[in-house]
This record gives sequence, structure tokens and C-alpha cells, in this order.
Amino acid sequence: MRKIASIIITALALSGSVLGLEVIVKGSDTILNLTQRLAEAFSAVQPDVTVSITGGGSGVGINALINREIDIANASRSIKSKEISSARANGVNPVEIVIALDGLSVIVNSKNPVSRLTIDQIGAIYRGEITNWSQLGGPNKKIVLYGRQPNSGTFVFFRDEVVKGEYATSMRQMNGNAQIVEGVNADEGGIGYVGLGYIKGISGIKPLSVARTTAGPYFSPADEASVRSGAYPLTRPLYQYTNGVPKGLVRAFIEFELSPEGQKIVEEEGFIPVTQNYIQRNNQILTVGK
Amino acid sequence: MLKKQIVLTVVALIATIIFAQEPGETNFEHNGWFRYTNRSTEFKITNPSVNSFSLERGYIRLAHRWTSQLYTKMTVDLFSSDKYPDGATVRLKEAYADIALPLKDFNFSAGLQKHYFGLIYSWDYTHPEKALGDDQGVCASADYGLTVNGFLPGGLGELHLGVYNGEGYKYAGKYINLSPELLANLRLTPFTGITLGASVFTNASDASPYKNDKKGRSGSGNNIFYMNADTTNKNRFALAPMLRVAFGPVSLTGEYIIYNYQRWFSYYKINLDTAGNPTDSTLVEKTKKYAFGGIDLVPVITLAKRKVQLFGRFAIWNRQEENNNVMELNKDRSFIRYGAGFNYHLVRREKGKPGLAYQFAWTRTQPRNNALKPTDVFLAQVRFEWDAVLPKPQQ
Repeated sequence: MRKIASIIITALALSGSVLGLEVIVKGSDTILNLTQRLAEAFSAVQPDVTVSITGGGSGVGINALINREIDIANASRSIKSKEISSARANGVNPVEIVIALDGLSVIVNSKNPVSRLTIDQIGAIYRGEITNWSQLGGPNKKIVLYGRQPNSGTFVFFRDEVVKGEYATSMRQMNGNAQIVEGVNADEGGIGYVGLGYIKGISGIKPLSVARTTAGPYFSPADEASVRSGAYPLTRPLYQYTNGVPKGLVRAFIEFELSPEGQKIVEEEGFIPVTQNYIQRNNQILTVGK
Repeated sequence: MLKKQIVLTVVALIATIIFAQEPGETNFEHNGWFRYTNRSTEFKITNPSVNSFSLERGYIRLAHRWTSQLYTKMTVDLFSSDKYPDGATVRLKEAYADIALPLKDFNFSAGLQKHYFGLIYSWDYTHPEKALGDDQGVCASADYGLTVNGFLPGGLGELHLGVYNGEGYKYAGKYINLSPELLANLRLTPFTGITLGASVFTNASDASPYKNDKKGRSGSGNNIFYMNADTTNKNRFALAPMLRVAFGPVSLTGEYIIYNYQRWFSYYKINLDTAGNPTDSTLVEKTKKYAFGGIDLVPVITLAKRKVQLFGRFAIWNRQEENNNVMELNKDRSFIRYGAGFNYHLVRREKGKPGLAYQFAWTRTQPRNNALKPTDVFLAQVRFEWDAVLPKPQQ
């Protein structure tokens, strides 16, 4: 019995379960850079607190929350029924906070003369039904598709909202937003989709204006007002999930993210600060925990 | 012969991996469980009835997601076995296709797949031994069939409806009868930390591995009969309500199992003439009812960032048999089981599943007949599991 107790104590010590002031965040690559910036700024306010952030994709982050491995899951898609059910069964109550808005940007090489497309056209491109830029009034050049991997929330959002079917098998599945930007930058026939925060100040690529129908109107994700108002067709909220209404350090970090200082960083990183409707929604959730 | 089968299986799997260039995503997974088992009476571990190492599980899985609507999967188990001189055997454990239904989060599955009954299908072997229903043969963990599976809106739970052969994954062909098994399983997660559910299946009859084929003889004197008897179980019915409570690092998972059937036992008795020579035979048919009831409880405490799991086990199994039209408890084959153990996870996979873990468990089984001594089983296991998405060439 004594031996078993000593093994357990050793295991506890090895696991590094010493109580520390740490907030662990994991998930969406789209929000990775933004959350890192927010964490750095938060550490300046709360120097005793370490915020550890890793990517891996929205699905990976949500899974880690379900398994109680982290405090906050970053997600660029909303949680699924299956995930809520698994979380509840595991005693985890996923609570959703919107920390920013994104205008998911469809990008092409800056040398490509095509500057605007409809959702249907983009969907047809990614389903492999339109394969040459000449079919869209562009040069006679093969379209090369760049996209994300299936564990990415952006992959799922884009498939559900734009592709509305299956991605063409020729799509190059990249690890993250930055790799898609690099790919399209180097490929005159390339097209990709990335979070708004990844196009700011980047040369060699350009975001396309997007419309719901051929009649327009077309909106560019670079037009902040259109994303903020939801007129840009690929506007989406960016989420953080916690186990229950956030408390303690986790709450302090989220409140910082939603504060004017945090939202200023959101803007600096190229995303859109949360709008009034999401502010109210967040406040309702956070008020419950007070 | 078996060695050739194993080699061919492995070669076929490797070839599939190398040459699988279909559209979609292919996932490879291996689960290996290397186990030490010590079984003894009254914990006399130096005088065991079993003292052995084995590869208890050697799952090789290939899953391919063609599209978000279509998914296919196959699993073979390459594990230690005395059945063949090679010391190992292969068995097919899963082979099915999932097709998404128009109803959100629901799909249709066809093939050899999970048997969605009781705790069996979601048993993740935190406790390295089997779920009680699996251990006591209420049903197999997988079977051939058609199922509709899905998740209820808002994370409310899951639902499974199925039609299976009913004989389990180990049987095919001549051991499968005409009576399908019907199954329903519902799990609800209405509140955080509470899961309620129930499974039920009915099966008019399973198939006997033997037939009254009038071969072989047994008995003596005037009681001589052909050896092979037909032992079909009819009117099989099982019900298993379950409950799981999980708060913080502590969880308690439990189920109550009710299982009934009527065994039809028939054989040919050989009729003798006065000189003792066989003349003809008479079919003898007997029936006997069986009723089983069981409780299985597994408390788990997860500590140290999920590296350590402490678990317990408490189970009751009552076996009642018909005797002179009265159902009597068979105390020799009814028992109380309890025990404890712990897992240490060196590595977990990205989605939280075990990667490399040590598992230790002790379980005592005390028959309800107190004159019988308890059996103790000590297990020590290294569980190594990994998976990888197979890369595809960029076009």
C-alpha cells in the first residue's frame, strides 16, 4: 500500500501539477497570433500570470477543453452538437464568448487581374468545377487551390458556407493561414482563404471583393465597415470556449480581451472588434458568473 | 497456414497505405496492449493458475474519409492466441461504411460495426478489463448489421437504432440463423456532468454452433445418445439502463443489466433392442430458462493533468436458472466482484486518447456460494496506441 502511495506521489510530482498562475489556451490557428498578442499585453498588466497558447485547429482546442486539459479553447467555428454532448458527459459545460469578428478573406496573387467573385463562383472553384482563370475573365491559367486541413475551423466554415459540397481533391491542404498566404504569394494561379488578420500589410496577394449574387453588391474584407455590419458575406465571429462561466484568472484574461485595450489589439491584428450585439451577449454570459 | 494469413494481412495493409491515393483523407491507427496476467485463488500470486504475458490487443485500423458525407473503416486484431501453433491469430473486428443522412448529425452505417448496447460500445478500457456485459457474454462488442446513429440537437445526447445478426462478430456463415437482433440505444446529457441512458435488444433466437447430426456417441448402459446437441438460445432480451456522473476530476459510471433467454437443448437418444444393439433414435428436446441481473460500477479519479487515473470496480452478477419450474440462483456462477487500480499516462494523443500508458488492476471475484474461494486477477499492461494521417502527393 505504501508502495502504491509513493508511486502516485511521484507521478503527481513528475506531472508538474504544482499550482501556478497559468492560463492555458489551445485551438484555432486563425486566432493564434491575435491571442498571443493579447496574452503579451495581459502579462504586462498581470505579470504574475503566464498565458500559454498553442494552435492545432479549432477541433483540437475543443477536444482539449472536453478533456479538461486547457482553460480556453480558441475556435473559428461554433461548437458542434456532438462536442457539446461529449463535454457534458465529461462534466464540462462549454460556454461561448465572442472575442472578435473576422472577414474570412479569399485571396489571389496580386498579379491576377480578377478582383471580385460571387460566393457561387468561389464555391464552384473549390469544388473543382471551375478550373481556369479564363472562365472568370482572367488569364488562361490553371487555378491552384490552397486551403486548410480538416481539423481547422476555417476549413469547416468555408466548406459549409461557400463550397457547399466537397472540396476538390486537388486542393492543397496547408497547415495554417500563413502557409496559404505564402503559397498564393508564390503562385500566380493560386487562390486561398485566410483570416482577416493574415492579409494586413502583406504584399504579393490581394483579397477579392465578394458578393452573394452576380447582381452584387460586392464587398471587400478590407472594408472594415462592411465586415462590422455583416454586409461582407464571409463575416464570422471568432470564439473562445471555457468550462462554465469563466472565473478567476481565465475570466480576468477574457475581460482583458474584451476591454477597450484588448479590442484595440484585435483591430491592430487586422480583425474587427466585437459589435454591440456580441458585446451584449458576452455581458449576459459574464454577468451570470459574477 | 496461419502464419501465411498474418503475413498476407500485414502486406495487404502496407500496400493499402502505400497505394491509397483515393480522394479524401486516410488515417492509420495501431493499438497494442502488452499484458501480464496473474490469476490465483485467494491472492496466492506465487501459486497462480495463470501467469503469462500476452499481446491482448493488436488492432490495426484503416479509416478513410472520402467526403464529409462518406466514411469507411476497417479494423483487424492481430493478437496472441494459443489457437494456432504460430502463437497469434487474426480476427476481423470492424469493417463498415458510414453514409450521412439528410437529418443533421445522423448517419447510416452498414457492415461489421460497434454493437451499441450498454456500456460496451463506449467502454474505453480506463479499467483494463472488459465491461460486465461483455465479460459475461450478454452480447459481443461488435456485430454485422445496419444502424442509424446520430447526435441530438443542442448536445442533448445520442441515439442508435440497429438491426444485427445477433450472433456477434466472431460468427459468420453457418452459425448465423434467420432471426435478426433489433437494438435501440439512447443516451441523454441534459445537464453538465450527468449522462442517462438505456439500451435494449431483442433476438428471437441465436444460432447453435452444433447440430443434431447423429455423429459421435456418448453415454453408457441404456442411456446412449449422439454427442452433438443443438443448444439454441431463444427469446433473448436484454435491457441496460446506465448512468454516468462526472464532476471535476471524479466520475462514476454504472449500469444495471437485465438479460433473459430460454435455452432449447435437443439431442438424439439412441434406442437399443433387447440385445443392446442400436435400432433407431428419438429426438429429446428440453428447455430451460435463464435470467441474469448485474450491476457494474466504475469510479475514476483523474489527477495530475490527466496523467494519473485511480479507479475502482464493483460488480454484482446473479445467474438464475429454471429448476422444476422455479427460477433459482446459481450461487456457483453468481458473484460479487471488486477491485482497484491505476493508470499512468506517459503520452496522450492530440485528441486526448491514450498514447502510451501503464495500467495496473487487481480484481477479486467472490462466488455467491461462500464455500467457493475467491479468484484474484492482477493485470499489468503497457498500452501503446498511435495514429497518423497518411500523406498524399500534392498535385
